[in-house]
Amino acid sequence: MRISESNNGAIIHIRNIAKLYKMGTEIVHALRDVSLDIFPNEYLAIMGPSGSGKSTLMNILGCLDTPTTGIYNFKGDDVNEMTDNDLAKIRNKEIGFVFQTFNLLARATSLKNVELPLVYSGVSSSDRRERAEQTLKDVGLGDRITHKPNELSGGQRQRVAIARALVTSPSIILADEPTGNLDTKTGEDIMKLFKDLWKKGNTIILVTHEEDIARHAQRIIRLRDGLVEHDGVNPNQLLV
Amino acid sequence: MIKISEITEVGRQVLESLFSNPLRSFLSSLGVIIGISFVITMGWLLDGMNNVLEDTINLIGEDMIYIEKFSWTGGHQWKLYEQRKDITYDQAMEFCRRIKVAQIAMPITRKGGAKLKYQSNTYNGFLTNGTKSEYGLTPAATMLDGRFFLPIEDLSSARVVVLAYNAYKTIFGETEAVGKTIKIQGYDFRIVGVIKKRGTAMMDFVDNQIFIPISVFNKMFDNSHRSFSIAIKAGNPKEMDEVREEAQGLMRIIRNIPPGKEDDFSLNETKTLESSIETFRLYVGGIGIGFTVLSFIVGIIGIVNIMFVSVTERTKEIGIRKAIGAKKISILLQFIIESTALCLVGAIVSYIVCSILFFVVASTLPGLVPSLGFLSKFIPVSFFFIASGLSIFVGIIAGFIPALRAANLDPVDALRYD
Ligand SMILES: Nc1ncnc2c1ncn2[C@@H]1O[C@H](COP(=O)(O)OP(=O)(O)OP(=O)(O)O)[C@@H](O)[C@H]1O
Ligand SMILES: [Mg+2]
Repeated sequence: MRISESNNGAIIHIRNIAKLYKMGTEIVHALRDVSLDIFPNEYLAIMGPSGSGKSTLMNILGCLDTPTTGIYNFKGDDVNEMTDNDLAKIRNKEIGFVFQTFNLLARATSLKNVELPLVYSGVSSSDRRERAEQTLKDVGLGDRITHKPNELSGGQRQRVAIARALVTSPSIILADEPTGNLDTKTGEDIMKLFKDLWKKGNTIILVTHEEDIARHAQRIIRLRDGLVEHDGVNPNQLLV
Repeated sequence: MIKISEITEVGRQVLESLFSNPLRSFLSSLGVIIGISFVITMGWLLDGMNNVLEDTINLIGEDMIYIEKFSWTGGHQWKLYEQRKDITYDQAMEFCRRIKVAQIAMPITRKGGAKLKYQSNTYNGFLTNGTKSEYGLTPAATMLDGRFFLPIEDLSSARVVVLAYNAYKTIFGETEAVGKTIKIQGYDFRIVGVIKKRGTAMMDFVDNQIFIPISVFNKMFDNSHRSFSIAIKAGNPKEMDEVREEAQGLMRIIRNIPPGKEDDFSLNETKTLESSIETFRLYVGGIGIGFTVLSFIVGIIGIVNIMFVSVTERTKEIGIRKAIGAKKISILLQFIIESTALCLVGAIVSYIVCSILFFVVASTLPGLVPSLGFLSKFIPVSFFFIASGLSIFVGIIAGFIPALRAANLDPVDALRYD
């Protein structure tokens, strides 16, 4: 049973993806055989035990990394054919990353951090400022634009990171354990923010190993040893 | 393609990283600072020497040949020249009568320390020259006031004197000198003219002279141990070769030098100075370039090293930038511009430091060591651009490999780096 190679409107279309790492003589199968389609305005949680390949998959989806074998079409374009510059362009325009450790530039203010993706897409400085300010307001940080990361709480830092992911209006937001470094309460606030973004029409892919977090998603994929163990609609989606 | 927005971002970045640790930036660009300082110092010395050379050539005249017992440039062979027979007055006069191609030729002789007296003041710091009226036709005798002495005054041994500028200033200040009478060695002399100021900082001595007819000079001073000079004006720099040849041949005949034996006199002209300065220039240049290359190598190693450190320290930052869409070229440029800025700041520092240092040195040292009078107080502005250009070049060279490493970092690995 072969699924059509056309995207059927999927943003992400991957087939039989594998990722191998050579560690000396040993070969690590981070991903063995993964196929999935992700459609606009999906809210997807990727779950699985540690070492199951969640981050590896995420990096491939986000065009930070390329699969060893398999097909990856992003909005109909073959990612395997792309040059480094093409990939950088996709990361810049189509994808917004949110990391567990925030990954903000320590020496730059919230505003400068959020402006950075726009710098690389060539937006003029006044437009940049305006858009970054608006996005910071949207995530509830309108009063923290001149603060540097070390002057912000963990939750606020993650909001800056989310604003940075959103500012280019990407097709997809990829978040790898975005609440991993936050306490439960703050984590819930961040999840609320993702929920709002989803409701506004954003497409969100979230990696987590906490069931509580995954409950927010519409669809859950469970990985084990580099294989998809389960892929289905989340019947218990929390809609508040 | 690199976006304009990125360039300003890179500028901001670079300044931030340079000034976030100024001591480290300074230390790592020290080699470049020293290298650039060498270049500037060299340029400054050579420029000073060129000025002296030019001054001297203008002072002497490019078409002048002086036949003398001593060579202007053979300082190290002084003993050899000392042993030569003096050029006598009669030989000099015979030469001047027989030379054909030259425009003018005249004997000239000098004596230091003659006693001058005007009213109740005495002076003895001036060099007394005895020469012919023809000297008045050379560029060295451009008059400020009055005239040079006349052939008739020389023939009749008239006691007339022409003052060079400093002699005039020292004795008369602002007042009229022409027509006044001064005493030289106790004899009354009438001042007939004053020569324009000719000397420059280093060549000041040319203004500390007085001129009297050689006929008078010969009567006043004992000439038994004096060697006369012969000044020849070719009239045209193009005829120098011809004049030189005839002068040499004629002088050999007059001095009875058999064929095959060396000249026992020297033909001095500005060209010989030029060539001796040329040698000096090569020394300065050679030593300077040696040190410069050496310190630039050390400098480049320093910059390469600090840039590798910087790339490593900022691995995570590079990962973040790549994750949000920075292209390789952007990262490459960021680090190359950073190392270039480091070198450029180094060049500016050395230019400023050298400017101050040289100003102080050139303002004080020549007072103590007059022969350093050629040092100029200012570094030519062109050297600022040369130094900047050089530092940009060094910065690009030194920054390239570390920048390439940064640009080629794998984004996933870079993001995982702590
Ligand atoms: N760069 C690498 N070199 C070698 N092996 C790697 C590399 N990256 C990942 N792996 C291996 O691939 C497997 C999957 O790793 P991955 O980071 O995707 O797991 P994960 O599901 O995100 O785990 P966690 O929940 O702990 O973050 C692991 O066994 C890991 O050791
Ligand atoms: Mg992971």
